[in-house]
Amino acid sequence: MRAILTQLNKVQGVRGSMVINHDGIVVAGEFADDVDEQGVGAVASSLLAALEGAVKRINLGRLNRFVLTGNENKAVVVDTGPALLFVLLHRDANMGLLNVEIREAAKQVVTQAKM
Amino acid sequence: MGLFDFLFSSSGKIKSLEAQLRVRPTPQLYLQLADAYKESGNMAKAAQVLKLGVSRFPSAPEISRRQAEAEKVERESEKKRLTDKIQTHPNPILYARLAELYKADNEIEKTIQICQAGIKAFPKYGGTYLVLGQIYIEKQKWDEALSQLEKSVELDKYNYMALKLLAQVYMQANRPADAARKFEDILYFAPGDEAILELLKKAREAAGVPATAPDSTAIAREAAISGGRKAVDPGVSGGRKTIMLGRLADQQAGTATSMRDKTLNDGILALRGVEGVNGAILVDQFGLVVAANLDASIDEGLAGALITNVYRTASSNAVKLNVGQFEEGIIEGETGNVHIVQFGDMILAVFAQTNVKMGLLEKTIRDFSMAVQERH
Repeated sequence: MRAILTQLNKVQGVRGSMVINHDGIVVAGEFADDVDEQGVGAVASSLLAALEGAVKRINLGRLNRFVLTGNENKAVVVDTGPALLFVLLHRDANMGLLNVEIREAAKQVVTQAKM
Repeated sequence: MGLFDFLFSSSGKIKSLEAQLRVRPTPQLYLQLADAYKESGNMAKAAQVLKLGVSRFPSAPEISRRQAEAEKVERESEKKRLTDKIQTHPNPILYARLAELYKADNEIEKTIQICQAGIKAFPKYGGTYLVLGQIYIEKQKWDEALSQLEKSVELDKYNYMALKLLAQVYMQANRPADAARKFEDILYFAPGDEAILELLKKAREAAGVPATAPDSTAIAREAAISGGRKAVDPGVSGGRKTIMLGRLADQQAGTATSMRDKTLNDGILALRGVEGVNGAILVDQFGLVVAANLDASIDEGLAGALITNVYRTASSNAVKLNVGQFEEGIIEGETGNVHIVQFGDMILAVFAQTNVKMGLLEKTIRDFSMAVQERH
């Protein structure tokens, strides 16, 4: 898992990433800055769980991911199925390229989780 | 030092402090950054930095004190603006917002007075009853609180705060079964809300209903609360339903739709015109729908409540996720997306298909935001 995150973190605009299980437990994390990984993991998983219910009510099917933009940074939480992938980005990161890289990393997380 | 030199050094200082904050945030750095913005004349940004600092370091006393001061100044300025606006272009939201500001300053009698004036002018707006209900709860006048909150819920059955407070007042009045029903109503549009689930459990226990009872009651309640979805709305036309801001005000007080209302309605219509957009809705801070253009199959009240709940969840967790203060969220589902954007005191949500052209949608949202700011 750590190798997947290291590779993803090399992409321009990525400030760090981690893999969390659905209970919010951190499986692996790699951040350049001082980040409370356990806290972020717990919040990200509970946020996604809360959003899942709302998505069903709005009839959007299964929740794939949530992108949150703040005045400092941007965060992407992807539900890969077996685990969650959390990616912290620069606020003005180019999402075009990053979407491709994040999708690829998410696929690798699924593969890795099955091993 | 000339003006140019001052601006240059000020901007350099701000950038340097922001860079330091990104690496290792401390309360002192937040204070320094707020001062730098204040010196550069950007008071709004200074207040924003202090707010962010407090959310990161809630137990740091100096930053809390400074933030409280900044908020007080901001409130005074907003009170004046809203009072003027009520004179020229009255609408119910302005009264509720003004009352909230006086309530924040603990000016209770003034808050009650504004709420009563708002209710008199716009008796069908639930937000003002909600503020009044909150005041009566604080004063522990339970009967008055009950009456105001029941009215608020009657007018807006999907209002999270009104339902929650009403349920809590029912608990206070030893009516746990009624409280449980209101908590169940909330769970319809805020499924999985842990705080509400916990309160529901307590209410059911107090009412003598097993906390783990089969959810048949809840299902029946859902059917009841969502029954309105099938109702024919006078705004339905050609498979779409439109709520035009100002219509309620027009019906109630014969007031002309203001330029700001027109801006909001035009913005919603512009978003609806983007290919791949299924609907757009603007809700106020109380979760009430301000303007909407949705497919007729979507109940705007329910959509507004869901969006408010998603916004509440996302914005309260934004700092903890290291992104700073919430600005925008995109929920991507299997069959479509929802874009949620903060518009000052309001929340805009755009429902789109997965193939929507993001660039065009974002530009339309930006244009709308700028138009609203110009009219603010």
